[in-house]
Amino acid sequence: MKKWLYSPMRDVDRVPVDRLRQFPREPDMLVYGLRSLGAFIIRQLLHTYNRFEIIGHQNLRTNRSLVIVANHCSHIDTLCLLAALPLRKLHRAFPAAASDYFFQSVPRLWAAAILVNALPFARQARVRQSLSICRELLANPGTILIIFPEGTRSRTGEVGEFKSGIGALVAGRDVAVAPCFIDGSFRAWPKGKRFPRPRKVRLVIGTPRNYRDRRTDKTDVCAIAAELRDAVNQLRPGNESH
Amino acid sequence: MSPHIALHDPVFRAYFCVVLVLLAIAGAVLAFLRFVLKKETASMFKTYWSWILIAGIGFIVVFLGRIPTIVGVTLLAIYAFKEFLRASGLYRDAWMTGAVYAGILMVGVASVISDPRSEERGTGWYGFFVAMPAFAIALILFIPILRNRARGELRRISLAIIGFVYIGWMFGHLGFIANARNAYGFLCYIIFATGLTDVAAFTFGRIFGRHPLRSEISPNKTWEGALGALGVAMVLPWLLRFSFPFFGPWQLFLTGLIVGIGGQLGDLSISVIKRDIGTKDMAATIPGHGGILDRIDSLVYAAPLFMHMTGYYYPLR
Repeated sequence: MKKWLYSPMRDVDRVPVDRLRQFPREPDMLVYGLRSLGAFIIRQLLHTYNRFEIIGHQNLRTNRSLVIVANHCSHIDTLCLLAALPLRKLHRAFPAAASDYFFQSVPRLWAAAILVNALPFARQARVRQSLSICRELLANPGTILIIFPEGTRSRTGEVGEFKSGIGALVAGRDVAVAPCFIDGSFRAWPKGKRFPRPRKVRLVIGTPRNYRDRRTDKTDVCAIAAELRDAVNQLRPGNESH
Repeated sequence: MSPHIALHDPVFRAYFCVVLVLLAIAGAVLAFLRFVLKKETASMFKTYWSWILIAGIGFIVVFLGRIPTIVGVTLLAIYAFKEFLRASGLYRDAWMTGAVYAGILMVGVASVISDPRSEERGTGWYGFFVAMPAFAIALILFIPILRNRARGELRRISLAIIGFVYIGWMFGHLGFIANARNAYGFLCYIIFATGLTDVAAFTFGRIFGRHPLRSEISPNKTWEGALGALGVAMVLPWLLRFSFPFFGPWQLFLTGLIVGIGGQLGDLSISVIKRDIGTKDMAATIPGHGGILDRIDSLVYAAPLFMHMTGYYYPLR
């Protein structure tokens, strides 16, 4: 008889809460079920409470890996971008979330890991390590990364400077980058408010770009970040004419 | 079984008091060890707090009645099975996992519904319940055929069948006991006795343990602990005779054997599985105990034996 090998899950000896903290997470049907149910409810809420509207939906139709880049004013942004994806891609979509904010306290951890399948991104120290996790994810086709390159929620509703990490992630790689603009989320749920308000939210999805021909040195990386910021800003309703 | 009956049931109330008193004594002993003898008891306290939690949840579920008990046992079986799958790696196969989940749910359903040909309602469908392994194994064997796969399937089939029959169906007997006329006596006794026997094995082993019981399987278990636990298990049915007043000496003796030997065999058989897989605990769900499966291992083995022994001498209804 040939040797019979087992392949235990990597997190067998961890406490359930710790299992959510680690990344990549092992598949868990309970988590998948809760996430799908949550996504369904969140979609209905967005459509009724915030009269959510998507423009340019066809730009997301791809089976290859995709990086979605958007402006960030509110927690609603992540939910909007996830709501634009088909439900079957939900468990392959990873919004990058600040590990210092979302992966410390347990209620936030539940929301981040179970509800939105967040990827813990260390934005202060070990940025390179986080970026390399992102690269590994993008290597499997069908992965969707959701990144807010401003690095934090905007306090004014304006689009801030994009960090150069987004450039380093996509420069020289054959991966589609879709710029998106989320309009109205600042009015709906600004930073510091406890509950969202019933304001209209609109998501504009731009045509995907590709930076496979660009070099990965500092000037190019910064240039890509600036270009992406312009691309996102261009999508702001009322800016199309420029 | 219902909250109203439980409130007035002398057996249920007696067990509630017994467990309360025992937990208080155990707490006092632990406190004595810690504060007077200055012993290192941090891990024992962790286990103790978890025991309190387990006892509390157990009493609430049994108090709520027949269907909550069966639902609770089914959920516990599903979670224990999930731990077994995660430890063995079969969990990555969503089809097999789903098939066995469906089987375990059906065990729960068979315990809740009643035999369509019987006059009495709410008594569980014994024939269907006992026949469940045949249906579940048929479903499990159907999965590879449905997916047109053969490579490595024997391994998955074997893991799924042992998981269903041992963790799903055999543990499911605990839920079916809730249909018995003397449900409170049987349920409370079997849960209480296996728990106490586990603690006795640990305590005797800790104090007198010299000779390893099965060195290749579980290095921490000793003959002294096992014999001490067997002694406790043999005495317990006589002390708690009020839970089944109709039992004769022979039935009391058999009950003692089932809990004393069966419980420890259940413990060891889960250890065999863990040893072969190469993990220490099945999971880390309950602090100080390991996984759910590490906690219920003796019940899984003893509950079906106890139910069928009783059913042979005295019909459940």
